[in-house]
Amino acid sequence: MPDTEDPLDLTPVAAPPTKRRGRWRTVGVLSVLVLAVLALLSQGLLHSLNYFETIDQAMSSRAKLGTETFRLEGVVKPHTIDRTSRGASFWMTGGNQEVFVNATGSPPQLFQANIPVVVEGHFTSATSDRFVATQILVKHTATYIAQHPNRVKAPNGTVR
Amino acid sequence: MIKQLSQRLLGPVTLVLLALTFWLGLWVTPPDRVQGNLVRLLYVHPAIAWVALYVSFGTSVIASCLYLWKRTRSVVMDRVAYCAMEVSAVFLALTLITGSIWGRPTWGVWWAWDARLTSTAILLVFALGYLALRRANDDPEVRARRSAVFAIIAAINVPIDHFSVDWWHTLHQGATVFTENGNFLVHGSMLWTLFVSLFAFTLLFFWLLRARYRLEVQRDARYAASLDEALAQRRREGVH
Repeated sequence: MPDTEDPLDLTPVAAPPTKRRGRWRTVGVLSVLVLAVLALLSQGLLHSLNYFETIDQAMSSRAKLGTETFRLEGVVKPHTIDRTSRGASFWMTGGNQEVFVNATGSPPQLFQANIPVVVEGHFTSATSDRFVATQILVKHTATYIAQHPNRVKAPNGTVR
Repeated sequence: MIKQLSQRLLGPVTLVLLALTFWLGLWVTPPDRVQGNLVRLLYVHPAIAWVALYVSFGTSVIASCLYLWKRTRSVVMDRVAYCAMEVSAVFLALTLITGSIWGRPTWGVWWAWDARLTSTAILLVFALGYLALRRANDDPEVRARRSAVFAIIAAINVPIDHFSVDWWHTLHQGATVFTENGNFLVHGSMLWTLFVSLFAFTLLFFWLLRARYRLEVQRDARYAASLDEALAQRRREGVH
C-alpha cells in the first residue's frame, strides 16, 4: 500500500557531469594516440620514407654519402657468392652498376644468387665501390612460381 | 526465407571454405621456386590483411559515414561501425603477427621499419584508439558521433598503407593481386587457392561481425532491462 505521508521523491535531479568528464577522457585518449603514432613514425618514417637506396641512387650520391651507414638494394650477381665463417661476400648489381659487398653475420635462408637483397652498412670510402655490411635482408618479389613448372608424367605414372 | 537461410548457412559455409583453403594450401598447391614451403603463408597472410585493411576497416568507415549522414543515422550504423572496427583491430594484429612469422625466414628479420609495416602498425593504433575513444564517452550520441568522425579521419591511412609499396622503397614486396598493369604474379593453383582464401576470410569477417553485432544488441537490451529493473526497484522502495 502506498505511503501517503512519505511519498517517493521523483523530483528531477541534476545529471552527473558526464559530458565534461567524457571530453577530458577523449582528450586523454587522443593525446596518447598522437604520442603512439609519433613514436611509430619516429622509428620508421620520419628520417626517410624510403627503406633503402638503389645502387644507382647510391652511386650517384656516393661522395655525399661517404662512409655514412645506410641500406642499399640490389640483386646478388650469380657465381660471386663466397660464404665465410663470418658471413658472405658477393657482387650486387642494380641498373648498370655493381657493388662488392662484404657482409658479416649469417645471411637469411633464402639468400642466393639472382635474389634481390637489402644490405645495411657503408662504403669503405667516398670513391669506393666496396660496401661493408652488417646485415643482409632478402627482399623477395611478389612473383610466385611453382618449384617444378615443367614436370610431366611418364607413361609409368612417375613424375619427372 | 532467403535471408534466414543465408544467415544459417554463413557459419558452416565459412568453416568449409576455411578448411578447403587449408587443405589446398597445405597439401594441393606446390612449393614456390624461391620460397619453397614458406609460400603456404600466401594463403593466410594476404587474406587476413585484406579483411583487416579493406573489408572490416572499410565497413566501419562506411557505417560511420552513414551514421553521420542525417538521413541514414541510426543506432544500427553505430553498432556496425563499432563491431567492424573491433574485428578490424583483431585482424590487423593478426596481419602483423603472420607477416612477422613470414618475414623472419624470408627477409631475415621479424620486423622492418619500412613504410608498409609502419603504416599498418599505425592503422592498428588507430583501431585501438577508436575502441578506447568509445570507452571514454558515456553519452551514446556523443560517443557515436566522435568515434564516427575519428574512423573517417583514420581511414586516410588506408590508401597510404595500400600504396606505400608503390610510392616508396619498402622491404615488403609490391602488390601481388592488385598490380598496376592488372597482371597476376601468382601462378596456377597457387592463384586460385589465394582467391579461395580471400573469399573464405571475407566470409569469416561477416560471420564474426554478425556474431559480434548480436552480442552488442543483447548487451544493449540487458543494459536497458537492468535500467528498467533499477527504476522499478526504486519505485518499490517507496511502497510499504
